[in-house]
Amino acid sequence: MVENERWIRVHVERKRAGEQLLSLTGDRERRIRSHWLLPDGRIEAESLICEEGRFPSLSVSLPEVAWDEREIHDMFGYVPEGHPDLRPLVRTPRWPDSFYPLKERVAAPQWLDVEPDNPAKVVEGEGMTVMKVGPTHAGIIESGHFVFSIMGENILHLDAHLFQNHRGVEKTLEGLTVTDARPFVSRICGADTVSHQYNFVSAVEQLTGREVPEAVAWQRVLLLESERILSHLNDLAQIPAGVGFTVAHQRGLAMKEVWQQELAAVFGHRFLFDAMNQGQITMSGKERFLTALSSLEREWGKWRKLVDRQRGFHDRMRGVGVVRREDADQLGAVGVALRATGIRLDVRAQMPLYRHVQIAIPHVSGGDVEARFQVRLQEVENSFRLLRTALEQLRKDATRDDWQPPVDVTGEAVGYSESPHGLNAHVLQIKNGRIERYHVRSGAYRNWPVLALAVAGNAVADFPLINKSFELCYSCADR
Amino acid sequence: MDLQRKSFQLRHVDAGSCNACEQELTALLSKELDMQRYGIDMVASPRHADGLVVTGPVTDTMKTALEKVWESVPRPRKLIALGDCAVGCGVFQAAYASHGGVGAALETPDLEIRGCPPDPKKILKKLNP
Ligand code: SF4
Repeated sequence: MVENERWIRVHVERKRAGEQLLSLTGDRERRIRSHWLLPDGRIEAESLICEEGRFPSLSVSLPEVAWDEREIHDMFGYVPEGHPDLRPLVRTPRWPDSFYPLKERVAAPQWLDVEPDNPAKVVEGEGMTVMKVGPTHAGIIESGHFVFSIMGENILHLDAHLFQNHRGVEKTLEGLTVTDARPFVSRICGADTVSHQYNFVSAVEQLTGREVPEAVAWQRVLLLESERILSHLNDLAQIPAGVGFTVAHQRGLAMKEVWQQELAAVFGHRFLFDAMNQGQITMSGKERFLTALSSLEREWGKWRKLVDRQRGFHDRMRGVGVVRREDADQLGAVGVALRATGIRLDVRAQMPLYRHVQIAIPHVSGGDVEARFQVRLQEVENSFRLLRTALEQLRKDATRDDWQPPVDVTGEAVGYSESPHGLNAHVLQIKNGRIERYHVRSGAYRNWPVLALAVAGNAVADFPLINKSFELCYSCADR
Repeated sequence: MDLQRKSFQLRHVDAGSCNACEQELTALLSKELDMQRYGIDMVASPRHADGLVVTGPVTDTMKTALEKVWESVPRPRKLIALGDCAVGCGVFQAAYASHGGVGAALETPDLEIRGCPPDPKKILKKLNP
């Protein structure tokens, strides 16, 4: 009992002290572990043994972990006692009762022959309508199921049922060596792949005490910022589509396409899959990259003029999909969605990788679609500058970074980074070179509940616009 | 140029992709590739479609939805597996919640487009030989 009270107290205190929650997860040894990022960049852990398969829920005092605790319940069967909403999150009625994928070493189960839908939370009463959308959609987007409670044209409540894309990535990584795990980690998500690759390599390096050579570090900055530009270009191009501003949408996508072709030419892949183990940029690659960067900056300048001067476009984005600052803080919002509320947190400021550069955090508040649009605009331009700095540092043709961890690497470490979609953390437990447990807590996962809250009170017709202004990945939340 | 080509209307379903295959499919609608000029387009309903493009290894949670969408596509129809995951040779083949691609989960596709993800130019070539 004392232990339970302590568990809740320490977490509340950490939150109050301005620490950021990296992850909350379980393992086969019945441990519940949380990891916190301190303002000075250190990472600290809290740990609790699940007695008789139960642990005290933190969700009431720390609402941002509501999903994490539901997930622990789904994947391990450990019960968060006192959780206000313990419906299944990842598991579906098709999962056999005894199937807890992360608890035992099991193969694929015999799925039950029923529909996969979980119970939805809806608002009932006179004049209320329930509108279900998905899991398949009319356009080319990822799968997700949304249950809207609407009155007239307004959304009162959104219950987001995601995890249709749950493949079982964390389980798949168990038992693999570092080398074998790389292509899997690279494909957790197509939009934040470099951030995922970085987290993995950074966790392994922490365990082996590797001093990362300067050139390797700059190469990583190059990749991370190239990805941020790619992802932000995509997301910025999608927002105009949400209001029928097609010319900005198409021109934005055209910039993205050219950038992808250049990334493929220089780093070998249009999305930078597996790029972190490709070795350093060559001198000819660097020349090409600089030319590509300059021409993108020119195109960008024209595109900015186009979107900046369209007053109607900005009017359309203002006051829509507002995230209040207090809610962002309470729900542990991350990335663009957080910074758009005026909370100026970007974990690049804590990452050792960026210690030689100044991370400019946009001064934006308002928390609406317009604010998220503005944050991305400024971040793209900051990334242009970071790319130039990194390129200047990469003066010499260096040899390939063919560092391999010792075969018996053992321990637990957390890799984290600021992905284009916010703070992304990986927890690695490895023993004698084989992964024991792997946990991925992506930016999108934190922000989905924030999005659900932001749409309440808005017109149904504005959902696509609000959704695009967050542009959250499904796959790295669903895994 | 054949000005009277046939049309090919497609519906897309994501069955567990990492989103890169989707982005490449979207690139076919861009100024540069513009597949609509060949009469190929994405449609909002399976009932308006001549074919279904599936991405991802077919996760268990998407399996029934995918079956329903496929059932709704009027005959004759084409089934297209886009990307290694959907083709059945991607990295997440053996994950517990994966049904191992379109062929194993639904039926043998009429067209397989390999790659992780496949290059958009290649996708267009395959769709418009
Ligand atoms: S084939 Fe590759 S790019 Fe396509 S969904 Fe699978 S992992 Fe992603």
